[in-house]
Amino acid sequence: MIETLETLCALPGVSGCEDAVRSWLMERAVPFADKIETDPMGNLMVFRAGRRHEKTLMLCAHMDEVGVIVTGITADGYLKFDFVGGIDRRVVIGKNVYFGVVPGIIGIKAYHLSKGDGAKNVPSVSDLYIDIGAKSREEAAALVPLGAVGTFAAGSTRYGAPSREYFMSKAIDDRLGCAVLVKLLEQKPPCDTWFVFTVQEEVGTRGAATAVYRVRPDAALVVEGTTAADLPGVPAHKTICKVGGGAVLPFMDRGTLYDRNLRELLIALANRHGIPWQTKEMIAGGTDASVIQRSLGGIPVAGVAAPLRNIHSPAGVGCIADFEAVYRLTELFMEEYTLENGH
Amino acid sequence: MEELTRLEELTVTYGPSGYEDIDWGIRDYLETQLRPLCDAVWADTMGNLIGVKRCGRPDAKKLLLDAHMDEVGLIVTGIENGFLRFTALGGIDARVLPATAVGVRMHDPYGTARYSWMSGVIDTMPPHALKAEDMEKAVPIEDLVIDVGLTQSEAEAYVPLGTAAVFCTWPSRLRNDRLAGKTLDDRACVEVILRVLRELQGQNLGVDIYCMFSTQEELGTRGASVGVYGIDPDVALVLDVTHGKTPDAQGIELMELGGGPAIGVGPNMTRKVTETLIRLAEDENIPYQLEVMSGNSGTNAWPIQISRGGVATGVLSVPLRYMHTPNEVIDLADVAHTARLVTAFARNIGEVLT
Repeated sequence: MIETLETLCALPGVSGCEDAVRSWLMERAVPFADKIETDPMGNLMVFRAGRRHEKTLMLCAHMDEVGVIVTGITADGYLKFDFVGGIDRRVVIGKNVYFGVVPGIIGIKAYHLSKGDGAKNVPSVSDLYIDIGAKSREEAAALVPLGAVGTFAAGSTRYGAPSREYFMSKAIDDRLGCAVLVKLLEQKPPCDTWFVFTVQEEVGTRGAATAVYRVRPDAALVVEGTTAADLPGVPAHKTICKVGGGAVLPFMDRGTLYDRNLRELLIALANRHGIPWQTKEMIAGGTDASVIQRSLGGIPVAGVAAPLRNIHSPAGVGCIADFEAVYRLTELFMEEYTLENGH
Repeated sequence: MEELTRLEELTVTYGPSGYEDIDWGIRDYLETQLRPLCDAVWADTMGNLIGVKRCGRPDAKKLLLDAHMDEVGLIVTGIENGFLRFTALGGIDARVLPATAVGVRMHDPYGTARYSWMSGVIDTMPPHALKAEDMEKAVPIEDLVIDVGLTQSEAEAYVPLGTAAVFCTWPSRLRNDRLAGKTLDDRACVEVILRVLRELQGQNLGVDIYCMFSTQEELGTRGASVGVYGIDPDVALVLDVTHGKTPDAQGIELMELGGGPAIGVGPNMTRKVTETLIRLAEDENIPYQLEVMSGNSGTNAWPIQISRGGVATGVLSVPLRYMHTPNEVIDLADVAHTARLVTAFARNIGEVLT
């Protein structure tokens, strides 16, 4: 699964431009799918018939990632930009961005030129710019027109100790979910299952709204990455969850009060099978679950997530053992949900 | 992936101040480059790497070409819950640090006893962990940590306090032959010197040509002050980088990328050397800019000029944007033009010596 994750994380897929991710996933899904659908939003919905047919389950992961969008070009060829999705501007300064094959740098004037109070304040996004080496507006616009989207640099690194390996990359949120789903798709599911890869989660769970309308599941599980702040200096009540602490089973975030029965099922499974798990100890963030839960006549929805440091940055960090816990728990959930709902 | 050019290789080779001499580091790399170009190559007590190309005369005058080989980095000051506390090794703006990938020199937890550069990342405090008023502010360097994925006991075993870390940036090729990467300060000028030595192969200019890849410049020109004493040159050219104009730095005193080498003018630069550089640039049609500095040039020229009984000193700088960040940007044409001007200077060194 880690090789798949590396490949997926390297693909560009800023919200609204998920094409490369969708094409790759579709190609992987074709040999296993009973039905593949897309919709005008760009969601990818892959159906695989289960061993039983009483219920239809939806597994959901989003394909899109946060990035930048070009909003203007200066006369001397620098790009002005805005963020797509929630990015803390403090993580982008001095970093590489890519508009397809065109590289750029989010620069900041030298340390020597900004001594004093200036260096204590972070420039606002409207004061930041991207340097692609162009010398004029015309030259830049021919390569990177207004509206072009850029991603952080592709490429992942593994580090840490052999017993507890960490994985660093852009876009782990939520290519991890995509990697889990595409691997689960390889085996015949216990019940009829839609593997749903959504678009535009990062700009307000836009894609899931239309996907769930078409798929009409009896229940859904959202597989995600979630913020961890387990760093020195962060008070315990603000750490949310710990990288290396197991799969996160949230009870609530800013968008959703997760279905209690489904969540208790996940907890029981984790305990029974010795899979490490934790919860989010702070009400923060949101997922596609919020829109799924309140679609159609209402759909029970649960979430499982991997804790990630530096989420929405060029260098997100997760623990490979947590990724495996998320995969295993999702797999067990599919079995147990089918068993509990078989008549 | 395309093969790296030598300059790109120079940028990805590690050498933070004080760590220039470690295995597979910048000094090893440069020693390999210098051997075929020089009659003798050695390192002095401060770690400066020095090469000489002799003309054969026992009383020959000496021309020194200097570029520093160290880079800004980080130095580990403590371990907390397995995370590394650190401070800057050289002048670094803390605003470029959050979510930056770094290499940390430590024992390899994967089994070998050797030191190597292990991957890590500077973690960033998520917005929810900060107060609203702190959202506008840079996180001070003392509040940042390096994440190397280790527990407290593992980190204590593998990471010695005082060890260094460096930015991990893969170079990227921008439009118009501009290059982005770490450590172009001052590897761009290391590249200039290597090109000049290659250009001068097989030519006897009647002077001994010394090149010095100096250490610890980023901590305050420390290596060069010792190196120049040992070499005792008559004339020195200090090659460094200078600030290029950017949207957030438009001062009249800043240089244009692609405008050619910046020739330093002011008390730190001996007038005769400056004037010779200007005349040669004019004669040979090499684009150049004048960088007027009223006092300390902020380069190795400061100690070199007053070494022993005094050294006739000039400063040539390659314009560079975003100095001391993980992505500095230069124009490769400036590197080529600087090499041409240094070569011309070496060939006309007689003018300065008379």
